[in-house]
Amino acid sequence: MARSDLPYTDTKPVGSADFYFGINATFRFILHRLGADGWRRYLEEMGRGYFAPVNQKWSEGGLAVVAGYWRAFFAAEPGSVVEVAELPDRVEVRVHECPAIKHLRAGGREIVREYCQHCYFIGSARAEAAGLTMRLKGGSGSCCHTYARADAGLAPQDLTEIKEARS
Amino acid sequence: MIGCYDFCGHYEWTFGWFERVGGHALVLEYWDEAINHDSQRHARDLIRSGGIPGMLKYWGHTLLEESPDLGFHISHREDVFRIDFHDCPSRGFLLRNQLKNYGDYCGHCMGWTGPMLKEAGYVIDHEHDHQGHCWWEMRPASATGGHAAPGSVAGDKDIRFNPSWPKDPAKLDRYTKANHPDDKMK
Repeated sequence: MARSDLPYTDTKPVGSADFYFGINATFRFILHRLGADGWRRYLEEMGRGYFAPVNQKWSEGGLAVVAGYWRAFFAAEPGSVVEVAELPDRVEVRVHECPAIKHLRAGGREIVREYCQHCYFIGSARAEAAGLTMRLKGGSGSCCHTYARADAGLAPQDLTEIKEARS
Repeated sequence: MIGCYDFCGHYEWTFGWFERVGGHALVLEYWDEAINHDSQRHARDLIRSGGIPGMLKYWGHTLLEESPDLGFHISHREDVFRIDFHDCPSRGFLLRNQLKNYGDYCGHCMGWTGPMLKEAGYVIDHEHDHQGHCWWEMRPASATGGHAAPGSVAGDKDIRFNPSWPKDPAKLDRYTKANHPDDKMK
């Protein structure tokens, strides 16, 4: 894995885990002020906008680039235990220990119950921009993200398959 | 997933999104409500209960984690806590990656620390140049007067002695005994 697989790079090898407090607080603020639809719009617009450079790389390079991105991404997230599997028509990101949920719990923070849905809303917006589909199953500390080619024929996302995050 | 590695990038993007959705007022409310009162509540607790030693405990830890290369310098006395940023890790990330979705990213620091320190009984003197250089002095709210002379608190670590510090005051955003991001004197 290489940091060059990431769209934006820092001088330090891993991020500061306390920033997960900021992400959780941002979600709470938006959900409170703008509701679930506003929060979903925020995530989808960030997925298409802020992440546009990596979406473009996914679009051009296909699933191998998607796999490389997620390996590099989680290598820079402190405390993550993740396996990235490359299959013929899809990439599965098997998150055994979510670094965000783990740090929020360790810090005694009240986690917004919708926290794990953000991975689907932002992930599916990014996948769509790259001509892929994304599905999510699990949550609250462990889950599986699937990024697939359109011909993989994945069933539609069932949001009830995404668990509420528990503090 | 949104990660912590590039937090400063999507955090800055978020300021611009809030401004488009709800204007400047929503950005200010976000910094105070979400960052001061929620995300950074550990800072609030330390500083409200501990004063300047609490500031040392909070910023000593968090800046070391964010900037292991020590792009900052902390000075403190009984009456003042000071930070000089010679290479802000947060602004530096944006500059290196050419990210800009909001007019003045540096405003976020006053946006959450200003109200936090007001609640704890402190005021802030501050200048930043938008290029990863700034200084902060935090004193009890009873303090009066203008900015202290360069070097009087931080010695030769004062960013104002750094050759990259702008000679043109128009390039600086300046605050004197302030607690609000809109108290800018520019």
